Amino acid sequence: MPASAHVLAKLARDYAATTPQRLKVIDTYMAFCVAVGLIQFLYCALVGTFPYNAFLAGFGSAVACFVFAANLRIKTNPSNSHQFGTSSEGAFAEFVLCHIVLHFVVSNFLG
Amino acid sequence: MRLGALLGTLLAFSSACLPSTFARSVTGDRVLVLVPAVEAALHEYSVFLDSLERRGFDVSVRAAANSSVVLHTDGDRLYDHVALLAPAAKRLGAALSVQDFIDFVDTGGNMLVAASAALSDFQRRLAVQFGVEFDKRGTAVIDHSHYLRTKAPSNHTIVAASRLSNIPAVLSPPLLADEHRAIYFEGIAHSYDSQIPLLAPLLTGSRSTYSGSPATAERPSSKSTQEQLSGRSLGLVSVFQSRSNARVVFAGSTALFSDALISAEHSANGPFVTDISQWAFQEKAVLREIAHRHHLASAASSSSSSEQPDHYRVANVISYEIDLSVYHDDKWHPYIADDVQFEATMLDPYLRLTLNHTQSADSDAVATYHGDIKLPDRYGTFTFSVNYKRTGLSSIDVQDTVAIWPLRHDEYPRFLSAAYPYYAGSFVMVAGFLALCAAWLWNTEPAPKSSKPKSS
Repeated sequence: MPASAHVLAKLARDYAATTPQRLKVIDTYMAFCVAVGLIQFLYCALVGTFPYNAFLAGFGSAVACFVFAANLRIKTNPSNSHQFGTSSEGAFAEFVLCHIVLHFVVSNFLG
Repeated sequence: MRLGALLGTLLAFSSACLPSTFARSVTGDRVLVLVPAVEAALHEYSVFLDSLERRGFDVSVRAAANSSVVLHTDGDRLYDHVALLAPAAKRLGAALSVQDFIDFVDTGGNMLVAASAALSDFQRRLAVQFGVEFDKRGTAVIDHSHYLRTKAPSNHTIVAASRLSNIPAVLSPPLLADEHRAIYFEGIAHSYDSQIPLLAPLLTGSRSTYSGSPATAERPSSKSTQEQLSGRSLGLVSVFQSRSNARVVFAGSTALFSDALISAEHSANGPFVTDISQWAFQEKAVLREIAHRHHLASAASSSSSSEQPDHYRVANVISYEIDLSVYHDDKWHPYIADDVQFEATMLDPYLRLTLNHTQSADSDAVATYHGDIKLPDRYGTFTFSVNYKRTGLSSIDVQDTVAIWPLRHDEYPRFLSAAYPYYAGSFVMVAGFLALCAAWLWNTEPAPKSSKPKSS
């Protein structure tokens, strides 16, 4: 137990120390996506699937945002720069474009 | 609705205009009584025939062999009611066939058929058409415990019957309530087909009653008991009401109607014969639907009563009303019951609800039944019906074909309350995205600077 606690403490400390702030922002955003998706899923399990399209739209929106954020994080992580190059602006532009399309689709599907 | 109003006024008109000397019967006053011989019958059945005359009937007593007697001319009934008191006659009138009598009933004519031990094949065949099968030739109803004690001491064929079926529509309350009633019956037994809902036994044998040959044996032999009619399965008087509401009474005894047994000691024959003849000739228990209407419950009943919608939307709440009257004692009365049901069917019944009786102040002859009904959440062509069939009462079958439409595209609710969390979820994700964009674009770099010395 102390060993694993030690590992976890070291992980947290290293995360706080070495992760760039932009990636921390993305991580927060991803946690937020998981929370929103989980709440909708629990609501659906509790109340039933009646407006199923609305459920799919709301839940899918959270999932897709999570996926886009993960992609943005991979592309803009400095340690991956040898694979994707150094332009984080390009990655961010793709991210924004994908979101615009996503929210357009979701708002149509919401009913 | 307009038709119903017309019918109502017509009824009021006819009941107001007709003098009271007219028959009390709803369907007509012409009675044909067929007897073996006219003169003898006028003496034998004087009480019964007089009571018919007194009740306003136009009674024609004819000999059964009279070949000028016909029931129809050019398809029209010549009589409204027929009493057959000639059981032994092999041919009736102008060679009337069984089909002639069935046509007579089909066109709304009522019949009273009395049999005796000497019953002709013709009348047996007639009775079988109505699910009544008279016992074999030569048999008679015998009861060694209950019989008319002042007469015929040896063979006990004048039975004192007392087991009446509880049909208040046919039998008057005093007769049903009388514990010591004795209805004297001398004649033949019949078996009734209990599978036929139109037929009901009215007077049946008691436990000691059986059908056998009075000449040969005092008691039933053990061999023949299998086939013998006895007890409750032995029908003495049965009532039949056709789908056209014509009524037929089968009595196994002509003597039931005779002066001798009506005037016998402690005899209940008089009230019993009056009850069954009143019932058979449509003088009582005639149920009629005056009007029915339905409309949206939200619409005011007065404004929408002029037109009846031919369609509703799914799950609409409608108001259904039906007015019922029952005829007895020479007048139309409100019909009060607690089992009038409404049905909405589309192949299967979707709804079956009991309607409540509401006081209608405007008329003392009509009872209004009302129900607020939520239609099924299902579109299609439905039949709204009140199908009221009770033993002894005229049957009522009112049907309306009504379409139930689905909602129009613009009649659905725009936003569903159940989906509010999903709406919120998707908008929260938009907000989160905008927040991320702001954090990304206005991200300042002191944090990386401060973190670099630590990591290095």
